Amino acid sequence: MTAFVEYLLTGVSRGLVFSLLAMGFVLIYRVTRVVNFAQGAFAIFGGFITYSLLKAGIPHGVSELLAILAAGLIGLIFGIIAIGGDIPLLASLVITIGLSIFSEAIGMLIWGTTPITYSGLAGHDFVIFGAFIQRQYLIVVIASLVVFVAVLYGFGRTYFGKAMSACASNPYAARLSGINVKRMGLIAFTLGGALGGLAGVLITPLSPLTYNADISLGITGFAAAIVGGLTSPGLAVLGGLVFGIAEQFVAGYWSPSNETAVALALLIVLLLWQAKRVPAGGLE
Amino acid sequence: MKSTESTVDSANRLNSHDSVLATIDLVVRYGVSVALHGVSIHVGKGEMVALIGPNGAGKSTLLNTLSGIIRPASGRIVCNGKLAHVPEGRQIFPDLTVDDNICLGAYRGGSRDPAPMYELFPQLQRLQNRRAGGLSGGEQQMVAICRALMANPDVIAVDELSQGLAPLVVSDIARHLVELNKQNGTAVLLVEQNAQLALNITSRAYVIENGHIGLEGRSSDLLRNPAVRAAYLGGVR
Amino acid sequence: MRIRANRKISSYAVIAAGMITLALPLTLSSTNTEIYVTVGLYTIVVAGLSLLMGFAGQVSLGQAAFYGIGSYTAAIMALHGWSPLAALIAAPITTAFLAFLIGIPLLRLKGHALAFGTLAVQLIFLAVIPETASLTGGSIGLSAIPSLRIGPLAISSGRDYAYLVWIVVLVTLIIARNIVHSRPGRGLRAMAASVSGASATGVEVERYKLKDFTLSAAFAGIAGGIYAFFIGYVSPDAFPVVLSIEFVIMVVVGGMGTVTGALVGAALITVISQVLTTLGTSPSLPPQLPTVLSLGVYAVILVAILRLLPSGLVGAFSSLWKKAQAASPVSQFKADENVEAVSSVDKEEPNEFTLVDEV
Repeated sequence: MTAFVEYLLTGVSRGLVFSLLAMGFVLIYRVTRVVNFAQGAFAIFGGFITYSLLKAGIPHGVSELLAILAAGLIGLIFGIIAIGGDIPLLASLVITIGLSIFSEAIGMLIWGTTPITYSGLAGHDFVIFGAFIQRQYLIVVIASLVVFVAVLYGFGRTYFGKAMSACASNPYAARLSGINVKRMGLIAFTLGGALGGLAGVLITPLSPLTYNADISLGITGFAAAIVGGLTSPGLAVLGGLVFGIAEQFVAGYWSPSNETAVALALLIVLLLWQAKRVPAGGLE
Repeated sequence: MKSTESTVDSANRLNSHDSVLATIDLVVRYGVSVALHGVSIHVGKGEMVALIGPNGAGKSTLLNTLSGIIRPASGRIVCNGKLAHVPEGRQIFPDLTVDDNICLGAYRGGSRDPAPMYELFPQLQRLQNRRAGGLSGGEQQMVAICRALMANPDVIAVDELSQGLAPLVVSDIARHLVELNKQNGTAVLLVEQNAQLALNITSRAYVIENGHIGLEGRSSDLLRNPAVRAAYLGGVR
Repeated sequence: MRIRANRKISSYAVIAAGMITLALPLTLSSTNTEIYVTVGLYTIVVAGLSLLMGFAGQVSLGQAAFYGIGSYTAAIMALHGWSPLAALIAAPITTAFLAFLIGIPLLRLKGHALAFGTLAVQLIFLAVIPETASLTGGSIGLSAIPSLRIGPLAISSGRDYAYLVWIVVLVTLIIARNIVHSRPGRGLRAMAASVSGASATGVEVERYKLKDFTLSAAFAGIAGGIYAFFIGYVSPDAFPVVLSIEFVIMVVVGGMGTVTGALVGAALITVISQVLTTLGTSPSLPPQLPTVLSLGVYAVILVAILRLLPSGLVGAFSSLWKKAQAASPVSQFKADENVEAVSSVDKEEPNEFTLVDEV
């Protein structure tokens, strides 16, 4: 029972981090129809910048906030490079692959190759059903829930959010209605960057990250986003939870080394299921 | 075909205050080919004007130029008021609800309340929370018209109203357009391949061929014009 | 007249290139021979990937996994007492067979979904190797792979491998060229380039996509097999995700769907990477600098090519060549005059592949 609760709670909080990454994918895809391969890089930047700021003596809270803002700015720059001007979608996808390895180069240059971590907000572990739970998990849950509500509300209920969705739904008609499609795309990249940054800020105290962890974080986030066909933020959150919990249970009850393979196999199954559900071209 | 009015005449009339939308010698090029060779048209306040012509004559190009999607190589566009464009193929937002589709028409400003649109097209009321992509062609056309009307335009340009729709549906929507024109005084520029329909509901019309305005005049006159009848009305009437 | 002259020039060029290819191994130092062999191996992989990207318009991020599967097949068989030649022949066959099986479901995916799907295949490959240590040697890898022997011919020196690799390069390029110029090849290429590609008839496209995918895996497999014998040792570190990305960069740099592009892309990126390693390696510099430099430079090259020369170096060069030959000054001027109108045409009809720019 104790082990079960521990796996479940760890899985939930890690899953919420994947959900944040997944929401970044969804946000950018919904507005620009570009799948941003560099989504995991935002998390690396978020975590690493927080680490550096904390080391420079800037207090908790401020460091995290600045790091999230910086990740948003990086998102904006990536957006300008990936979708600025007239460029085919596939080219944008490959450009984001380039941006992702560029980020790895930057990460390695500034922070080196050793794993980076920092202590989260100080506090004692607490006990639920006999399982010791780090306080950081609680922060992960609260922070991501607040963000989910904000994003779901912003996208689904506000006029601005609907205008953003309209860009991906029919870019031509969006322009006719006076929506600045390109600017909306850049806003989506900025928000996606900040969401990724938050994911990194939250997960780095829990599991140390290396400069090249962006690929594994990114692909798990993508897998979670695929649950909702890359367009539904709500299902993306669910997807993140499924992947986070599955990962912990496979690692706990079977073998930690199978965790990646199982997650990836699950991703492929999901992709195929989506390809079957959505008629050809619909997911393009 | 010979012009019934000289283009000089129509250019002169642009300065008069009764015109809400006009083009002067509009030239549009696609690469090396010329899509519009100096097209001059005008739409008066509260007027219903048709633009008819065969496929590829430059009808959609003209509309896309009017709404700023295509930049003309030369010539001028004069717009004394707000123009809203109902594009060819309706171009609704398939993933959004009917409500959201209509509301987004007010993106440039104005009231975002869709209620007046449901008064105009009561059929849409019960569909307001449905995905627009799942609607029938006629319903989508109504959504597209409502979305354009949300901008509170002085002139509405409708591109291929009848495309892919059943005749009964077309006449129903056309009736709504006429009503709208009568009640609100919204001018209508109707771009159509279906010349019979267009000439029946408008007061004045232009015939565009190969990027030129070949003919212009009162719709009722054009309906009787032998050349128009031979080319566009299949010799009927 | 001009066409015949062109053909003459290009056949001279081919002969000259062949002579240089043959002569080079005789003059190169051992380090440079290694680079030369690597360029050859990568050209083989990239030729296959280029077909896939150029024809089906699809990105595979799993090509390094196929390269790795070829390497492991050859290494495991050679270490289990099979003749090296049999092991080498088995490498592309096994790889192609696996790709065929994976491809049947996976190729239903398109665009980003296929990119991530193949990336997942690559990551699964990297995750499986350490779990099957009894066969693959786990993360330590397999060493003491016997050297290659084809009948009485022992292939042991770098120079021998250089000749072997470049013979295989020649064969793969001929196969690739035949596919590019075959009737279905031309049709498929046009489709990948066209906007309405999605609407093309399903069954035939699927079949050729699977064929392309399998063939590109076979190319990667044979290259991987030769690599295993050449280096004498394989480990998962030799097949990182970045290598798959590198292959994609080579394709983009050279130009998708062109045979010469594969060669140009592979050669250019390999040489650049080598130069950067030499520049960045010095006792006074941080040890990770070469990696930082090459990752950074790859990224910059990739983005710059996609933004500035979307048809790749070979494509850009050949269109320049054509322009210089065909365009009279008058038509050139006319084309410039209409640039603005052309760009508005592009914007007129938004479609799945084009994001519309603001006016």
